[in-house]
Amino acid sequence: MSRRRGPRALACFLRGLRLSLSKPYLAVALWLIQLLLSAALILPISNTLHALLDRSPAADRMVANPDYGWWETVRREHPDLLGNFPEIATGLLSVDGIRWSELPGMRGVGATAFSLALLATVLHAFGLGGMLGTLREPSSSLVTFGREGMRRMPAFLLFTFAAFGAAFAAYEWIYVGSGDALRDRVRELHTEQAALAVTALRLAALLLAFGAIKLLADAVRTVWVARPDLPPVSRFFFGIGGAFSRPLRLFGILTTYGLVTAALYVVWLVLDPSAGGEARFALVPLILAQQFFVFVRLLIRVGYYAAVSEALTRTPEPEYSYVAGAAPGATPATGNPQAASPAAANEAPLDGV
Amino acid sequence: MSSAKAATLAAALAVAASAAFAAQTFPPPPVASYQITCRLDADKKTVEGTEVLTWKNTTSRPAKTLRFHLYLNAFRNTLSTFWKESRGETRGGKHLPDSWGSIEILRMTGADGEDLLASLRYVSPDDGNPYDRTVAEVIPSRPVAPGETVSIAMDFVSLLPRVSVRTGYKEDFFFVVQWFPKIGVFQDSGWNCHQYHATSEFFADFGNYDVSIDVPARYRGKVGATGRRVDERETSAGRVLYRFQQPGVHDFAWTADPAYLVYDDTFREAGLGDVRLILLLQPEHAAQAERHFKAAKAALSGYGRVLGPYPYETLTIVDPPWGANGAGGMEYPTLITAGTHWSAPKAVQRPEGVTVHESGHQFLYGILASNEFEEAWLDEGFNTYMTDRVMASVFGPNHVELSVFGLNFPLGIDIHYPVDSNRRYFEVADWDILASDSWKFRERKSYGAHIYSKTALTLATLERLLGTPAMDRALRLYSDRWRFRHPTTRDFIAAVNDSTGHDWTWFFDRTFYSSGIVDYAVAEAESEPAKAPRGLFENDGKLSPSPPADLPKVRGYDSQVTVVRSGDVAMPVEVLLRFEGGREHRARWDGEARWKRYSVSRGPRLIEAIVDPGEKILLDVDRTNNGRRTTDDPRAATRWTARAVFWIQNMIDFMTVLW
Repeated sequence: MSRRRGPRALACFLRGLRLSLSKPYLAVALWLIQLLLSAALILPISNTLHALLDRSPAADRMVANPDYGWWETVRREHPDLLGNFPEIATGLLSVDGIRWSELPGMRGVGATAFSLALLATVLHAFGLGGMLGTLREPSSSLVTFGREGMRRMPAFLLFTFAAFGAAFAAYEWIYVGSGDALRDRVRELHTEQAALAVTALRLAALLLAFGAIKLLADAVRTVWVARPDLPPVSRFFFGIGGAFSRPLRLFGILTTYGLVTAALYVVWLVLDPSAGGEARFALVPLILAQQFFVFVRLLIRVGYYAAVSEALTRTPEPEYSYVAGAAPGATPATGNPQAASPAAANEAPLDGV
Repeated sequence: MSSAKAATLAAALAVAASAAFAAQTFPPPPVASYQITCRLDADKKTVEGTEVLTWKNTTSRPAKTLRFHLYLNAFRNTLSTFWKESRGETRGGKHLPDSWGSIEILRMTGADGEDLLASLRYVSPDDGNPYDRTVAEVIPSRPVAPGETVSIAMDFVSLLPRVSVRTGYKEDFFFVVQWFPKIGVFQDSGWNCHQYHATSEFFADFGNYDVSIDVPARYRGKVGATGRRVDERETSAGRVLYRFQQPGVHDFAWTADPAYLVYDDTFREAGLGDVRLILLLQPEHAAQAERHFKAAKAALSGYGRVLGPYPYETLTIVDPPWGANGAGGMEYPTLITAGTHWSAPKAVQRPEGVTVHESGHQFLYGILASNEFEEAWLDEGFNTYMTDRVMASVFGPNHVELSVFGLNFPLGIDIHYPVDSNRRYFEVADWDILASDSWKFRERKSYGAHIYSKTALTLATLERLLGTPAMDRALRLYSDRWRFRHPTTRDFIAAVNDSTGHDWTWFFDRTFYSSGIVDYAVAEAESEPAKAPRGLFENDGKLSPSPPADLPKVRGYDSQVTVVRSGDVAMPVEVLLRFEGGREHRARWDGEARWKRYSVSRGPRLIEAIVDPGEKILLDVDRTNNGRRTTDDPRAATRWTARAVFWIQNMIDFMTVLW
């Protein structure tokens, strides 16, 4: 029996990007969700900043770049604004990591931003259901996105929170825990480079765990959508099995996604259109540039999910071969799942969780 | 200046000059001199030594007892005052390791062979802690008379702890400080011999040091110490002896590490003499040698020009290895420790900042040997002020640093000297009175913020009020008067008063001796078109609603500015009113009242009002309220709102991308 190789990770990723570009409303939907969430903070942030800056001569120094003195003073004089949010944000990048006991130190806008991010996790479950369902529809629309999102929501919420909990546990046990356990030994190392290498290993282990958690969750979600013909428990284990059957390809896709996104941020930070004041970008072009960046990032994100779907559910035929509408009963157990993908309208009885 | 004042000033300066002449002699007359021979056991982490102390009672009273610092006993157990005060944490807030240090005197005899050890007892003059062993007292059979010199011989063994706070070892690295029995300072008021505290440094008399150090041969060429190396020779199989001598210092430190890269350079500047710079650098920091030298030279030049030349032949800069940064950032006579990172970006001034600061201590601690236990601001705070001046003039602004998993990156946000670099003071501005004993601050954070930062901001404020030349004259007078002596805060205030011809005591009373905060603000700045008078007016003896024709025509704007003193402490401030057309009005306010109002009728439109526009009062805890415009300019707030929303969008994405 000849072993047939599936598409390579990069090819999957590029196909996913093409699919994302062919259905840009998916990225638009995610962009709207994120924008609306963050918009909840516009008024408190805007009002505070206008109250502090509009009549202050210090504002001249703040148009272009952050002024360290102003920022420090505002944080000190108004601890209710952010609390220790900046410390927590930088703590995430530190050698020791952050302790969850620090979270109650957040206040005001900082705490609300964190809560919104948690709410975003719920909406993330909805968005993923909509996205993966829509990606499997040859002809679809924003309506499909909403319908599919709502249909998958209960199961996807479960998967998302399970993955969320696993990621937090991995951070606590792998990164923070190893830091605590190794602290004294790291101090005894001969050079700082050796200590950095230990940190790099801890970080690599964490990223590997994060990657595994994410890929397992994404594989389960993908198979959940692709195999409505199976009972829920089977779909779940099919998803797990799918991740284990193509680990390198999936990690390749995830790595490509991570690198492309990181490159996007590097470009943004280097160009930094918000720096330099109005000499570089007036307000409206600045906002447009910011939102364009967010949109591009979300296009890539949709592309990633499409690529995972490609990698897990596509047979090695050279041509793109989604087939919609086949009856669930026509699918051989080990055959091409795409060939058996049912119409979304017929999935309801199998999707209850 | 009136002629009477000028005469007073001239007389004061003449007195100062005569006092300075006496004080400037180098080396100063020795009070406590040490001849030490010691042997390092690198495996047992011990230093065994023999010490001959020659001590002179320079007071007018007999010394019935002799008190000694046994600093290493701070690391003896968790009952020591140091452990209790530090709550088991290092200067950097990390846990102290369970690695114990101690010092034991095995023999102590007087000149006539009198056994002093039998009378030794431990005393705790600061807190009465019965378990603290950092101060010992012996009672000679005969008091030491005023002017008398005695000689005391001792054998001792010091067990070094794993480096966590200043002293100790890490693998083969040894940093040996506060390591020998050291006599306290005897004053007319009695012994000034404090215990080892978590937040204080040291105090000792000047003397001549002659120290021989016997180390294993693998340390050949890798030993640094206070003073000039005068001998290097093999003693026995596998061992090398180094001898260092230094007159006119008040402590002795040494270090050994086979890993050191040894660099040599010379500081040379007209009028400041030549100084040999020795850099003992860790191999992983080899690329930063020049950065250390540049910083040390900047310090010797910057401090030397203001405070007088560095009088010693050498300055040794030590770079502690990874995991021993507890030894970093410390000063000893002619020897300092710096500290850096492998990934130290040039835009973030490390090792420059710490090297300048510790080199500066050669002047403010080394030469002007104030009491670091009781008046730590005189060395740390004054030195921070001078460090800021040197850093600003030689290196420019520092930058905010972001540490990403141990790698350091500069952010494009400037940290200006001195106000940004000392912002930690503002957070705890009213926690403590600056002029307090070092161990009596509420927390370590408050100690650092006051001793270093408040003092630096206070002196920088004084400099802006006096002008830099006058400030430099005051500092120079203080330095000239007190070189190789033990100055106090009152001596500095006297130097300021004498050099300026004015009494600035009020300024120090409100800063050094107060926990009050300074905060001036513009509470109101309004400008409206002037309105024609309305109401009833006398016209030809009758009241009518028409204003008299001879009233000046209404034009321009009516403006009103209210400046308030929100803080407890009053300072003289300038108030600037800036009008349309480029016109400005500057007014001086003594700042004593709680508020002051400025009104301008029918003038040009007021654009903004700023209190302390020249940013002279650097102690002002909140500068964001120091100015106010009459009209809104929403550009900055709008742009920052856009930025904030954008990054919240990114954070939301980050929070959902993982699961």
